[in-house]
Amino acid sequence: MNDINDFCYKCYVVFKYTFFEIIKSKVLMNVFLLGLGLLLICYIAYSFTYGVPERVVLDVGLGMLSLSSVGMAIFFGVGLISKEIENRTIYMILSRPISRKAFLLGRIMGMVGVLILNILILSVLTLVLYVFLGGSIQSLILISIFFSIIEAIIVLLIVVFFSLITNPTLSVIYTVVVYIIGHSISDTMINGFAKKSVIISSILNVYSVIFPNFNKLNLKDLILYKQYLPFTTFCGITTYGLVYMLFLIFITSIIFERKNLD
Amino acid sequence: MINFIEISKKFKTDFWTQYFWALENVSFEIAEGHIIGFLGANGAGKTTLIKILMGLIKTSSGRVEFSTKLGKNQKEVFSNMGLLPERPYFYPHLTGNEFIYYLGSLNNVSKIDLKQRINYWAERFKITHALERKLKTYSKGMLQRLGFISTIIHNPKMVILDEPLSGLDPIGRKEIKDSIVEINKEGRTVFFSSHIVPDVEEICKRVVFLEKGTLLYDGQIDHLIEKNMKPNYQIKYYANDEIITQEIPIVEKEEFLKKIINNNQKIISVEKLRPSLEEILYNIKTK
Ligand SMILES: Nc1ncnc2c1ncn2[C@@H]1O[C@H](COP(=O)(O)OP(=O)(O)OP(=O)(O)O)[C@@H](O)[C@H]1O
Ligand SMILES: [Mg+2]
Repeated sequence: MNDINDFCYKCYVVFKYTFFEIIKSKVLMNVFLLGLGLLLICYIAYSFTYGVPERVVLDVGLGMLSLSSVGMAIFFGVGLISKEIENRTIYMILSRPISRKAFLLGRIMGMVGVLILNILILSVLTLVLYVFLGGSIQSLILISIFFSIIEAIIVLLIVVFFSLITNPTLSVIYTVVVYIIGHSISDTMINGFAKKSVIISSILNVYSVIFPNFNKLNLKDLILYKQYLPFTTFCGITTYGLVYMLFLIFITSIIFERKNLD
Repeated sequence: MINFIEISKKFKTDFWTQYFWALENVSFEIAEGHIIGFLGANGAGKTTLIKILMGLIKTSSGRVEFSTKLGKNQKEVFSNMGLLPERPYFYPHLTGNEFIYYLGSLNNVSKIDLKQRINYWAERFKITHALERKLKTYSKGMLQRLGFISTIIHNPKMVILDEPLSGLDPIGRKEIKDSIVEINKEGRTVFFSSHIVPDVEEICKRVVFLEKGTLLYDGQIDHLIEKNMKPNYQIKYYANDEIITQEIPIVEKEEFLKKIINNNQKIISVEKLRPSLEEILYNIKTK
């Protein structure tokens, strides 16, 4: 019991200072200003055309929020652990009474904190403008934001995983590839050509089991056509995301536990 | 306190090259209560051994044993140890205070104790004014001092310093050396690596000397010096407004001094020649 308490406390300490360290690098400030600029441009551009400006703002805003947090997850995630090893800060930490698992988890949580904050800031920005332009908030929009968080966390875990087994450049490339494929895999599976070939479709099936299917987390079409997401589907997708995260954390911590830190 | 038992470590730089032994069968003990100098040229394997000690990399064979005085399990042992790695890097956006609080919290030091100890050491190292500043504004010497503070913030029984003096000016070196002596007087064991012999000679009673991954010497510095003492005296005196320095075998010392006095020349100093560790180690190597 005491051990668990201590583990949680150490996680918390690492989380706290990782979060501070990234926040203080002023990245969120930049994202905020960028987001604000982009949305204003949208607003101005579309107020001169016959469109539905609030829909455009929502579309751009949600897209930006998802892309920027995925970008941030990759950018910071690739160095989250590997830079600590390279810079030897990790020696000062792991030579203290803290387990490698607690350190890894703390670092990841710190970054997750930053991602969530980023998404919250951009969501508020988007929604304020959206409501101001006359849009009404539906639960689907909030769910979509929630799914963006899950997506960003999964991308973060993927890049951390790669960064422990290969160099930073390749880690980024692999992660981007997994991300892009993860977004197109459903489309490919529906595609007639893929369906005809047994080999290709079984490869795709295996792939879709191992690698994340980010399309599940993308509700753009649903929002666009004002469709409804059944509660069971919501739970299913959330569970899928959580299980995937746990799976990644599990593998990553096993690798990190055995890694030579030189 | 810590026993290294037949430690070997091989590295493979890439797939095609042969193994390379960074450490070969190194055995010695870090005895309690001493300041132990860990000497070796660049690439001798000092840092590798320290990484093995802290469990950061695995040995190829051999093991490290910790005395129960340090603790019963790894967690207890690590609570009683402090490591300052070589060329440490610090989080640029944290302030000095935050950095120490971070590392101190990992050692379960209470906020009150942390504050008090930071105050004491920062005052000593004259970095109090910078504690609220981001670390990216610190000079190299300030960072090294901060690193030293973080290493001893939890009052460890065993302190391991990997080249703590590198990158410091003479004042900084003196400060850190004095602090090492001070924490040793408080009863802490210090193991400190360096490739600068006079630094080690100044504050250590014992040395461990590593050369290309093998242990060359482990023991008292004094013994080593005694054994290698040249049987000569160095005599300095004035002759015709000139300072003359001469090495004289012990047996001829009295005769020689008499001669100087008789000649009405002024004796400046008579000194038993003490070889520096540098010379001794060089002797061992060439033998
Ligand atoms: N990860 C590694 N892969 C391959 N070789 C390594 C690795 N780490 C260290 N070495 C080699 O092991 C040898 C010992 O290195 P080490 O860093 O322990 O030396 P050192 O005594 O600390 O030297 P210095 O005084 O320069 O710090 C060196 O030849 C180094 O190149
Ligand atoms: Mg070294």
